[in-house]
Amino acid sequence: MSYATRAYEGVREFLVEIGEMVILAGQTIMSAIRPPYPYGGEFVQQFLFALKLCWFPLIVSTVALGYGAPGLQAANFATLFGSIDRLGGFFVLASIREFAPFVTAVVMAGVAGTAITADLGARKIRDELDALAVLGVDAIKNLVVPRFFALMILTGLFDIFALMLGVSGGVIATLVNGAPLGPFWATFFTNASVTDLWGSIVKTTIFGAIIAIVCCYKGMNAQGGAEGVGRAVNQAVVIAFIGVFAFNYVFTQTLLATNPEITAIR
Amino acid sequence: MLATRMRLKLEEWIDAFGKVVKFGSEVVVDIFGGRVMTFFGETLRQAGVLIIGSAVVIWTLMFFVGLQCGIEGAYFTRSLGAPAYAGVFTAWCDLREIAPYAFGYMMCAKVGTGIVAEIGSMRINDEIDALEVMGIDSVLFLASTRLLAAWLVLPFLYIAGVGGAFFASYLAVVQQIGDVSSGSYSLIFWLFQNPPDLLFSLIKAMAMATFIVIIACYYGYHVTGGPVGVGTATAKSMVANIVVVHLVGMMGTVFFWGANPRAPIGG
Repeated sequence: MSYATRAYEGVREFLVEIGEMVILAGQTIMSAIRPPYPYGGEFVQQFLFALKLCWFPLIVSTVALGYGAPGLQAANFATLFGSIDRLGGFFVLASIREFAPFVTAVVMAGVAGTAITADLGARKIRDELDALAVLGVDAIKNLVVPRFFALMILTGLFDIFALMLGVSGGVIATLVNGAPLGPFWATFFTNASVTDLWGSIVKTTIFGAIIAIVCCYKGMNAQGGAEGVGRAVNQAVVIAFIGVFAFNYVFTQTLLATNPEITAIR
Repeated sequence: MLATRMRLKLEEWIDAFGKVVKFGSEVVVDIFGGRVMTFFGETLRQAGVLIIGSAVVIWTLMFFVGLQCGIEGAYFTRSLGAPAYAGVFTAWCDLREIAPYAFGYMMCAKVGTGIVAEIGSMRINDEIDALEVMGIDSVLFLASTRLLAAWLVLPFLYIAGVGGAFFASYLAVVQQIGDVSSGSYSLIFWLFQNPPDLLFSLIKAMAMATFIVIIACYYGYHVTGGPVGVGTATAKSMVANIVVVHLVGMMGTVFFWGANPRAPIGG
């Protein structure tokens, strides 16, 4: 096969896969709206499962990133100008708009998403999904829909904790620099806006949806025995990361361009 | 009850941590002791696999975060009334923080889970036992070669990725938002970084990569429980790797820039 043909095949395969994921997303939403609604129990179970897996990595990741990246670097920069009180205002931009959503997404994709793919992939290669189909159980309604909602809602909720913990990283950085906390909170709350907050939460909720669809798709299409499940997890997390970061760029761009008032420093 | 469970969990973590350290030190000693040279061919093959399989994906993610830094920097400095200084934001954001993190994330996602899946399925198919029967040291052949391959390839791959992130920031700030001319952006951008910063950033990224490869090899090497076990181990390795990436990122920042901002201003 020539290189051109191989490249063509690769691109075609990729586009087909993206298309199938979009179809799965549509089917999931339709199936969620249409009665009956048998997915309540599974939803609670998946929600608790993801919560149990993710809380610890989320705490470590957000505090570490909040303290290191926006905390220390920006505090150093502000200290040069003698304006470390401005750090709070910077944290609105850094933590609420950027770091909290994407750390949440990375943790959810890396921890909960991989677990979902491993779980569904295992069911697929043990032919359990086919058995469900034979029994007349709709796999999308009973397996994908509860995971989709669980991950979506949990990612949105985790974003709030990521915000708080990320800002607490900034608090630590302020204290390490020997500065008082009053000015930090003052600039933080004067700069914080409701638009920023809902932007952040809507963004992470959509991240959760992307992660859930990608991971369920890859899990349900795992094939090839022992190696298959591992490979499915690998591909799922790569596609989820790229999808999330690409969407993040588009969303932030749109939010900043359409709401110029949130970028003003007060 | 909860206290007992937490104690058990803590014991489990400490136990796993000790085992990873032991495994990792074996792998590193094999490299520095020169034993890995027996399988230098395999090392080169692994290096090739890294370049062909992972380079483009890692660069793509680093490019995206570069764009992200660019628009945040442009809007932030515009709101300060100093759009010409977007370069300060992007120089620090790209080089010091976001490039290493993006590299670490993609290393976990692509290379780390790939290694677990590959070595794990070898374990399940008894291929590792077959290696031992043939008299080949399996840790040396599977883990040390991969770590050495990572050390050979990744510095270059990372620096190319940083270049991609710089280019993306330039595109976002100068071409897309357009508040600042190309010349004054570049002036500020290059003024606020110097070669030691690049070296520190590289050290940070390579520390992440080293831990990721060792942890992935450990999880893959110790897979149990059939085909399903491979998937579970792959998912578990991501948890450990994400935590490690963030801790290394924070420690790197504290260590390299914590006491000294290394900026060409101030007293």
